Amino acid sequence: MKAALRSRWAQAGLVILAIFVLVAALAPVIAPYSPTNSSFSPLASPSLRHLLGTTQLGQDIFSQLVWGTRGTLEIGFLTGLFATALGVLVGIGGGYLGGPTDSVLNALTNVFLVIPGLPLIIITAAYITTKSQLPIILIISFTGWAWGARVLRSQTLSLRQREFILAARLVGESPLRIVVSEVLPNMLSLIAANFIGAAIYGILSAAGLQFIGLGNVNAVTWGTMLFWAQSQGALLSGAWLWILAPGAAIALVGTALGMLNFGIDELTNPRLRAGVKKLPKPVPAGTPEVGALLSLQEIEAGYQTAAGPLTAVRGVSLAVKPGEFLGIAGESGCGKSTLAFAALGLLRPPGAVYRGSSYLAGVDLLALTPAQRRPYLWRDASFVFQASMNALNPVIRVRDHVLDTARAHGLPPAEAIERATALLQQFEIPAHFLDAYSFQLSGGMKQRVVLALSLLLRPKLILMDEPTTALDVVVQRLIMQQIEWILGELGVSIVFITHDFSLLVEISDRIAIMYAGTVVEQGPAAEIYAHPLHPYTQGLIRSFPPMSGERQVLHGIPGHPPGLGEKLSGCPFFARCSARLEGVCDQAVPALLAQGDQHTVACHLYGQPPPVAAPTAVGEAR
Amino acid sequence: MRYLLQRVAILLITGWAALTINFLIPRLMPGNPVETMIAKFQGRISTTAIHALELQFGLHSHQGWWLQYLDYWRNILTGHLGVSVTYYPQSVGSVLAQSVPWTVGLVGLSTVIAFLAGTLIGIRSAWRRGRLGADLSVPVALFLNSTPYFWFALILLYAFAFLLSWFPLSGGAASSGSPQGLAYLGSLAYHGTLPLLTLVITSLGGWLLTMRNNMLSTVSEDYVAFAQARGLPEGQVMYRYAARNAILPSFTAFAMAIGFVISGTLLTEIVFSYPGVGFILYQAVTSLDYPLMQAIFLFISLAVLAANFIADLVYILVDPRAREGR
Ligand SMILES: Nc1ncnc2c1ncn2[C@@H]1O[C@H](COP(=O)(O)OP(=O)(O)OP(=O)(O)O)[C@@H](O)[C@H]1O
Ligand SMILES: [Mg+2]
Repeated sequence: MKAALRSRWAQAGLVILAIFVLVAALAPVIAPYSPTNSSFSPLASPSLRHLLGTTQLGQDIFSQLVWGTRGTLEIGFLTGLFATALGVLVGIGGGYLGGPTDSVLNALTNVFLVIPGLPLIIITAAYITTKSQLPIILIISFTGWAWGARVLRSQTLSLRQREFILAARLVGESPLRIVVSEVLPNMLSLIAANFIGAAIYGILSAAGLQFIGLGNVNAVTWGTMLFWAQSQGALLSGAWLWILAPGAAIALVGTALGMLNFGIDELTNPRLRAGVKKLPKPVPAGTPEVGALLSLQEIEAGYQTAAGPLTAVRGVSLAVKPGEFLGIAGESGCGKSTLAFAALGLLRPPGAVYRGSSYLAGVDLLALTPAQRRPYLWRDASFVFQASMNALNPVIRVRDHVLDTARAHGLPPAEAIERATALLQQFEIPAHFLDAYSFQLSGGMKQRVVLALSLLLRPKLILMDEPTTALDVVVQRLIMQQIEWILGELGVSIVFITHDFSLLVEISDRIAIMYAGTVVEQGPAAEIYAHPLHPYTQGLIRSFPPMSGERQVLHGIPGHPPGLGEKLSGCPFFARCSARLEGVCDQAVPALLAQGDQHTVACHLYGQPPPVAAPTAVGEAR
Repeated sequence: MRYLLQRVAILLITGWAALTINFLIPRLMPGNPVETMIAKFQGRISTTAIHALELQFGLHSHQGWWLQYLDYWRNILTGHLGVSVTYYPQSVGSVLAQSVPWTVGLVGLSTVIAFLAGTLIGIRSAWRRGRLGADLSVPVALFLNSTPYFWFALILLYAFAFLLSWFPLSGGAASSGSPQGLAYLGSLAYHGTLPLLTLVITSLGGWLLTMRNNMLSTVSEDYVAFAQARGLPEGQVMYRYAARNAILPSFTAFAMAIGFVISGTLLTEIVFSYPGVGFILYQAVTSLDYPLMQAIFLFISLAVLAANFIADLVYILVDPRAREGR
């Protein structure tokens, strides 16, 4: 709840609402006259005595507006309360109890969701002859609870599966106790949103009802003000403030409540949170490495969060030569995916590249606008996502994905389909799956469709982010074979990201090891495997069994990498390193220095720290 | 197909429930509607009419509820909805028949326009989030969303009909002239513009907010990023990849929205004296014409169900998962 109030929207809404509540509470003090005092001259124009003029009957409009605040907010509050109570009862009750109770309650909810509220209220209210506010409020609540019940029910259903609820049930706590002490507290924000929505609904419905003369028109509310204004021809006699003021007040209160709800929405759905400021283009760095197809220079990238900017990639420089297979390995969260997205300028807010250049065949992709970058994407470098499960648009066919891609890059449709058919065949997917939707493909098939798509425009480079994770071993092996085919037959460069070091050893030309957003070691695959220099690489190799061979005891590396918000003052591996040099490793960030012909490592064990501790990455030795 | 059958089942249940509620309300409410009516229409209602009304509302009747209920259904299925007291001696059915086209036209047109416009603005507002123009659409939409329809109608009426005289103060079409030809269409537009504008503007905010929220969730989906990675044009990514998916929940929200729009239409018609169902309902309410009210509620419920069914059909067209079974 407190977090919801941090939202700009919620704050603005709360301020407006507070003003209205204050006016309602202090009505006797604020209003200069009694709202029913009709001793003034009728239809007076606004003046200091009558800020908004007077009515046909000679009442002070401003006083009515002030007192009407009280009556209207009361209706909103009570409707919110009753409708929410009903919604909670039906939604949470049904959702938690399940079975036939739930079926009946759910059917009831669906019925009330569809039955039009206001007409039902109108005809019901027309039968009521008592002149009290309460029946109207009850009727409105009775028509307004269904939406809340639906939302609460589905939330309860998902909550019911959570561990702490299951645990409570196992212990044998009574359902009522579990609902009150475990379920309800977890749904407070939803219930609050519900209350607010029902309050808006109540205020608007009551106003409509009172406007056509139903309910107690002698009560002082904004709705009855509008009724009297209309029935006494306020507009025709030019007393437009009599109409304007109460309606505007209703809309304003509704807006304030809506803003509050918007804040709560943002809280429950992080994707709705306010967008972050657009950063300027990253500061370019370095020059493209000679002979490299892709040359990353000092890429620094991360995420802008409410708690401040995080740095997930801390100045990475890497190069990929034509036809080369570069493997990137590192533990989960070390910034591999962020680096891949950053390299192609595809990092989306809240992600951002802070600094660096990504030269693809000499062109710095990060210095381009999105529109300028588009022609290079996929034609020169394609990208197979870590989660290809959701990479296909669920509402269009595989064929449309092919055609869209082709059209964007000027490949004739006929040729695109021909190529796609051949590629799918290569990946052992029958051609008729061109007409399938993604929900008709298995996980492994989706992955292979995406791989086939990545080759459609015959790019020079493919970035593959863990293309085999989450697949079973057979499919995994199949895909690896196909990737080797791509490499052998097509001569494409591949950057292959994985946390499975053993997978890389057999297939890579070169391997880069990432740790905490930095490249700590890189070199030819065989050499890295045979002579790992960095203590982290050594640990990594120990913790994975070779792809073929006996399973061994795995040696995990205890400890955690530094937080993304921290600025490095020494080696990022310092805290976990078994070979650390106190007073050296924690004092300066090690630079990536050549060790031998093509092998580089960032570790103080293999060279003295430069006199000025700066995290400059040095181009690799060749 | 399974999806469709499921929807039809829900609609049938809902229709049955709505009609049953319609049957129950006059019987559950305290007081005696027929006596109220007799008092109001002193001497203008014949004894036979009173008897018919008593039967319709189950008063002084020795029949059990169950038999009354069967009678109620028989009357509905044969179209006998009773006689209107206000428009005596017209039958409720014929009064309704004259007003229904106006309301259906107004609701249909305004819903389509508001849906399209609100959805479009919602898409763009989500896509350009973080820029002032796009973010400003939120408070504006919230304001429109909580603007009482009838109040907005009054403001438009005052400004454009009363002060500026651009549009007429009341009515649905010029009373002279046959209901045909271009001139008649012109007169329809002349009378219908302000009511339509009221409904479109006040219901647009809801669609905008719904779409904006859906869109913000969809934009971070992988398939949107994947479309961008493939270098597809921005417009295509925005509409075909993000919005095309984000719009699906809007069809589910339709059930509730159409109820609001119809409610708004009723009140708007009252303000503009537009000869639709809302106007008739107002007459019925002010003169306590219970048979007419009952019939109007019946009609509105069925109309909402029909609109929902159309929304379901459209949903099946746009979502292959609903179409090709699952
Ligand atoms: N949207 C985000 N907001 C804030 N932090 C994020 C966001 N996305 C990723 N991060 C953080 O950035 C860091 C790097 O994430 P990244 O996805 O690049 O890791 P990874 O090396 O690909 O890991 P894995 O092997 O699990 O895929 C992680 O610590 C993660 O928590
Ligand atoms: Mg990753």
